Amino acid sequence: MRRLLLLILNELKMVRTALPIHLIAVFQPALMYLIMASVLVHPTFEVNITEPTDDAGKRLLEAMYDVGSPDGVPYINPVFLDDNDPIGAGIVTVEEIGDQPTAIYRYGLIDSNIVKNLRNRLTAAALRVWDDSLDGRAVTIIERPWLPHDPTYNLYFGMAMLPMTTFLAASLIGGFLTAQEFEFDTILEYRLSPVSPAVVLTARLVRLVLISWLSAGILLTVIGLLNDVWPASILAVTLILIPIALVGGGIGISAGLLLRSSLPAFVIGLGSAFACWILGAAFGLPAGFSGAYEFVSRFVPNSYAVELLFPLYYDTTIGDSIRPILALTIFSAVALGLAALAYRRRVLTCQE
Amino acid sequence: MKRFRILLSTEFKAWRRDPITALGGFIPPTLILIAFGLLLGGRLNFKLAVINHDAGSYGEVLRETLAEVESPFGVPYYGVLELSEEEAWETYRAYRIDGMWIIPEDFSAKLEAGNNPEIEMYFINYNNDRAKNHRIYSAEILWHFYEKIGQPAPTIELAEEYPRSEMVHWFPVIAVGVTLLAVTLGGAFNVYALTYKEQISRLTLEFGLSPRSLLWVLLPKTILALLAGIVTGTAFLGILYLWLGVWPGIYLWAVWLLFGLVALFWIALALVVGLRARNYMAGAIGAVLGALLVFFVSGGLNLWRWNAHNVNWFSWLFPYIYAVDPLRDMILFNAWPVDWKSALTITSAFAAGALAIGWSFATRKLRRMG
Repeated sequence: MRRLLLLILNELKMVRTALPIHLIAVFQPALMYLIMASVLVHPTFEVNITEPTDDAGKRLLEAMYDVGSPDGVPYINPVFLDDNDPIGAGIVTVEEIGDQPTAIYRYGLIDSNIVKNLRNRLTAAALRVWDDSLDGRAVTIIERPWLPHDPTYNLYFGMAMLPMTTFLAASLIGGFLTAQEFEFDTILEYRLSPVSPAVVLTARLVRLVLISWLSAGILLTVIGLLNDVWPASILAVTLILIPIALVGGGIGISAGLLLRSSLPAFVIGLGSAFACWILGAAFGLPAGFSGAYEFVSRFVPNSYAVELLFPLYYDTTIGDSIRPILALTIFSAVALGLAALAYRRRVLTCQE
Repeated sequence: MKRFRILLSTEFKAWRRDPITALGGFIPPTLILIAFGLLLGGRLNFKLAVINHDAGSYGEVLRETLAEVESPFGVPYYGVLELSEEEAWETYRAYRIDGMWIIPEDFSAKLEAGNNPEIEMYFINYNNDRAKNHRIYSAEILWHFYEKIGQPAPTIELAEEYPRSEMVHWFPVIAVGVTLLAVTLGGAFNVYALTYKEQISRLTLEFGLSPRSLLWVLLPKTILALLAGIVTGTAFLGILYLWLGVWPGIYLWAVWLLFGLVALFWIALALVVGLRARNYMAGAIGAVLGALLVFFVSGGLNLWRWNAHNVNWFSWLFPYIYAVDPLRDMILFNAWPVDWKSALTITSAFAAGALAIGWSFATRKLRRMG
């Protein structure tokens, strides 16, 4: 135990030898979140419109202001354009076609996602006008949302970045440090050491978990300050992120041991961290996407971490917690087993 | 010229020895492309259960309408699932479907009598974007439902006009963004690959002591990294052709030109970092993560031209945003970009400025070490 503590202490002291890399791994995800949060989707879209002159157009415009969420977030921000202004994504004009007032959306682009968003908003506004004319024959939709309010997309996005942040820090630093042992020939010390490989790897993993926590902690603080939402239990968040740090650390250490060069180890750490992030519920819960995505996400640890983090941020569950805990345990065991095997191959038996 | 050829050949031999780093521009973007393909390449609709208690016929018409009305993605807004009421509640509560519409027993009767018919829409709203979609999708459904059951004509009809006959979907838009990311990373990683061994073996000291101009050292690295970036991008174009059936055709030369100009910017940046002995890896990691960040916020995920006023200041500092939409024009639509001149001028200025600064900075650093 004393040896382990000394090794952990030594690992922590070694932070000074690669301080800039630690700083990048710790702060970069929070910076990335801050910048991405400023460009993420917002329910309010600007809809260009020629200022209406007739009654139907004016009613449509009024309805545009009414389209929104019950929380008071408008979905349409009408922007008046003159004839000579560039239309950007498109422009709505209300014209008489065969005595029938018609709202024509002249799109400036053919991006299906943007067209969908703009079309839906115009239809929602025009439906309100239609409903007003139907008296009692209009169909009312009674909304029964899952949560009492609509949380912002930024909150989900940030929450799903927590596992990625943890993974990235552990895999980058784990891969880099381990590869450097070969580049600077300090691996010889490990080869000559009488200390059990389990103790050496544990010390390194403890360090990686601590640094990952620090990175995730900074991101968690930024998410909290930006959205004014904090997880129900910080302790639970830190526990959930341990297996992710172990997986990232295991992959990073394995890459460093097998490739023995910092740059390729970095490529593997970076690629796996970002792929696991995107495939692991980065932009929404996997059930909300295609069957193929949902299937593949089951093989990614981040998905299970997001499943466990979800109740802490949303005060509601999405299935039982046994399955994700079991899955994360298996992922960690596999990654650690891989690191132990790589260590045995490259350090203990010195296979080139 | 002979000196240049020798140095180029030496660099090329060194480059071949580190295939994983040489593929650094290829491996992460490929993983990202596959991930986005799985995320957005499938059916983009809401899984919905419809519980129809209606004693009349309108409930069934509404259910049919839900399954029929298509979004610009070319699929219905809702994928209606055949589930019993019990199954529907169970899957909804476990969040395996996005929503449930419950049509009450008196729906048709109230509709016929003009007595304010209602339906209940249960939906998952863990983020405001999905909640918004549920609300505005429902408007599309009701609009078509009204038309189908012969409600009195709408006060305002709707019509649409498009600049092109075809629609471009989200994944192809992102795929071109990832291709430009691959070019960027291809250039940057290969500069690191070409300077890494020199860092480890302290060859940079010898460079610093060289009596000749250090451009002889920097030029071969720049050219090799540039070629690597363009080759990486071209390999991605091949993937795009096989996966999505898109190819720039006669505009390939222009695509290569923009690839090269964007790559040169990052190559120059990477050179500055790559030839610094201290904090080499930190610089490399920072630059590569920076390139990824630029991809995510500077038009990599969306067409930005229509939304230029919402682009943040950070994005304008890098050439990526100026090149990505013109590339989409050429790769996805085989169309000449309307802003070609400005794209070319700006990316050329970025490349020239970055190279001038990068080369002189790298030279000074090397001389100082020498």
